[in-house]
Amino acid sequence: MRVFLVFCCVNVATGCLLGQAEKKNPVTGDATAIREGSSLFRANCSPCHGLDARGGGRGPDLTVGRWIHGGSDAAIFQTISQGVPGTEMPANPFEDSEIWALIAYLRSLAGAPQAPAGGDVTTGERLFFGKEKCATCHMVKGRGGHLGPDLSRVGAARSIAYLIESIREPSKELSLGYIDPNNHYGIPLDYDTVTVVTAEGKRLVGVAKDEDAFSIQLLAEDDELHLLLKKDLTEVRHERRSLMPAYSTEMLSAGELRDLIAYLSSLRGEGL
Amino acid sequence: MTLRKTTAAFLACAIPLLAQVTVERILNAPKEPQNWLTYSGSYRSWRYSTLDQINASNATSLTAQWIFQSGSLGQFETTPLVIDGVLYGTGQDNRAFALDARTGRAIWRYQRSLPDKIQACCGMVNRGFAALGDRLFMATLDAHVIALDRKTGNVVWDVTAADYRAGYVFTGAPLVVKDKIIVGVAGGEYGVRGFVDAYSTETGKRVWRFNTVPGPGEPGHDTWQGDSWKTGGAPAWLTGSYDPELNLIYWGTGNPSPSDYGEERKGDNLYSNSMLALDADTGKLKWYFQFTPHDLHDYDSTQVPVLVDEDWQGKPRKLLIQANRNGFLYLLDRTNGKFLQAKAFGEVTWAKEIDAHGRPVVAPGSAPTLEGTRTCPGALGATNWFSPSYDPQTKLLYVASSIECDTFSAAPQKYHEGHDFIGSVYGPAKGEKTAGAMRALDPLTGEKKWEFPYFSPPWCGALSTAGGIVFGGDSEGNFIVFDARTGKDLWHMQLGAAIYSSPITYSVGGRQYVAIPAGAGLFAFALGDK
Repeated sequence: MRVFLVFCCVNVATGCLLGQAEKKNPVTGDATAIREGSSLFRANCSPCHGLDARGGGRGPDLTVGRWIHGGSDAAIFQTISQGVPGTEMPANPFEDSEIWALIAYLRSLAGAPQAPAGGDVTTGERLFFGKEKCATCHMVKGRGGHLGPDLSRVGAARSIAYLIESIREPSKELSLGYIDPNNHYGIPLDYDTVTVVTAEGKRLVGVAKDEDAFSIQLLAEDDELHLLLKKDLTEVRHERRSLMPAYSTEMLSAGELRDLIAYLSSLRGEGL
Repeated sequence: MTLRKTTAAFLACAIPLLAQVTVERILNAPKEPQNWLTYSGSYRSWRYSTLDQINASNATSLTAQWIFQSGSLGQFETTPLVIDGVLYGTGQDNRAFALDARTGRAIWRYQRSLPDKIQACCGMVNRGFAALGDRLFMATLDAHVIALDRKTGNVVWDVTAADYRAGYVFTGAPLVVKDKIIVGVAGGEYGVRGFVDAYSTETGKRVWRFNTVPGPGEPGHDTWQGDSWKTGGAPAWLTGSYDPELNLIYWGTGNPSPSDYGEERKGDNLYSNSMLALDADTGKLKWYFQFTPHDLHDYDSTQVPVLVDEDWQGKPRKLLIQANRNGFLYLLDRTNGKFLQAKAFGEVTWAKEIDAHGRPVVAPGSAPTLEGTRTCPGALGATNWFSPSYDPQTKLLYVASSIECDTFSAAPQKYHEGHDFIGSVYGPAKGEKTAGAMRALDPLTGEKKWEFPYFSPPWCGALSTAGGIVFGGDSEGNFIVFDARTGKDLWHMQLGAAIYSSPITYSVGGRQYVAIPAGAGLFAFALGDK
């Protein structure tokens, strides 16, 4: 039977501790617990956080030591067991020993190197809204375009390695888009380049905000919505690549990348 | 059922007859197409109706007649029954209801009080009732079997089949055979030991149980390593078929547990992923056929078996057809389980072929690994629990199909009673777009006659009728009518939520209706007033 497992996101939004401050993980560093935690993680958490906990479509990277809802054992315990209200992180009916095993596993992964360091946030912001034209497609706190994902919280949700990959090789992993809440097994749409050709021969390129067998709701490169019936189209092609250009070192030097990453990492959703 | 009664039922418009449902009526269900008396429409499970008022020439004027709201979110997976003008359905969280089938107005509603911590892998769902006499039978999420009074929804009896705290649940519709109701348990994601049960419709007393994982000393026990049989799974979570001449019940079984990791359950793992032929009176195994021995990809074989009598290689033969989750369309001789043919009906990478005895030749490198292995079909299968439909006019089998390959990973997992027990995880292969299709297959040759593309994998089955049409639907919420011969889409309507059921049709007062749930709504359509 198809299983879509309970997912456990661990650091999505603001949470609070309910008298758990004294709890300490009794099995930190214990090889057996880490192994059990790994197995529990794969079965329960990986659908959102990725098989290796480096972030999936819905859940953040858990290997970078950045715990938005508190990084103490007690805080992580709370996040796993109670979930985070207002986010996609649900409460999880694990036994205490299982939660400690999960935390032991997550601790065993933490501390991945965070290179490159030393960029300048202000310079990065200037690049984002200026020369590199990122804001043509991406929005930060209401400023920018509509075609790509909103990046107002990206620094809280993604590792630096992921951000670098998304800039240098944006097609390697397409970001996820619309999730239909009435389609329980549905796979979210992603930021895939879609090309359509109308019966009149007009070609439009963009991303699908939604689509079914009969229609497509396309946000095209002109930043406009095109609401189309497939019977009026001669072609609908999913290209399985991102619309975003791959920023080579010629387009974005190593130094500029550092500045841009410094800016993106600073975006934690404050004030939203 | 006599002709006179049939006519009377046809004529009943304003005043439903509320006649008893007899064994005879269920045996002859296709002869009273105004009703829908059993899960798949008949014991041979064609999900086909001789009603033809709605047909290929007028389907464009289908109009919504009423919408019933179940009052709950989650997947609405019921196949309603219709008996003499009253529609009986089950809903999410073990709700149930009886409606005036012409107006959609509720006659009664039932809601079971369920305990916390029900372990239902795939939602708090139920797929429908069985009916006999003046009773309805439902198998519940807390692993009970209950009988309700048809006129009031009052509970007549309630028996415990298994312990829900250990992961046992019921989600499928029971099947009435003679004076018994047959139910199969779910829980393959929780390491249950599967079974098919028969209960007395009169008292609720259990008459027999067939354990789908043989215990010590029983044939097939040696196909399990060590104690792995105790948590071996092989649930039987959908509704089977019945051949009254042979007095055999055909019931499919699901995956061995844990589904992705087989290192600690070496062997063929009987009777997982099998078709069982059970004596209807005793539950004794007459024959079995295992489609996917030692499964590592969750290829349950619970899909509804379709019983057809056709010539095979020049001789009349009693056939059993199953479009299996593992990607092959099977033909078996249902008298003895003999394998006749298997043809792929979608992309298959886990097996190179099915050999002359029906055993798959497993492709090297297809077993899940720690890092993950891409395999087709994905875990939800080339098809799944939603029903196929067999149309005797076109002699085609209509199968809603998924087009998806998954990355399956494997890792050892310790068994904890009542906790999921899967052996790691699977999901759509990275970077690949999934899709689906309604497919028309010639069951005798495996040839695909037509295909209508769905945007994503479907969870809505098929219904074919003498009107030369097939009803289907997609996970984007479209309810669709196809031309049965060409696959051309004649009509569709957006219902606002993914469809997780298979359509039925019935008539009241000479007017044909077709019913399908989507979201929290049960929708009924008929031709618009002229």
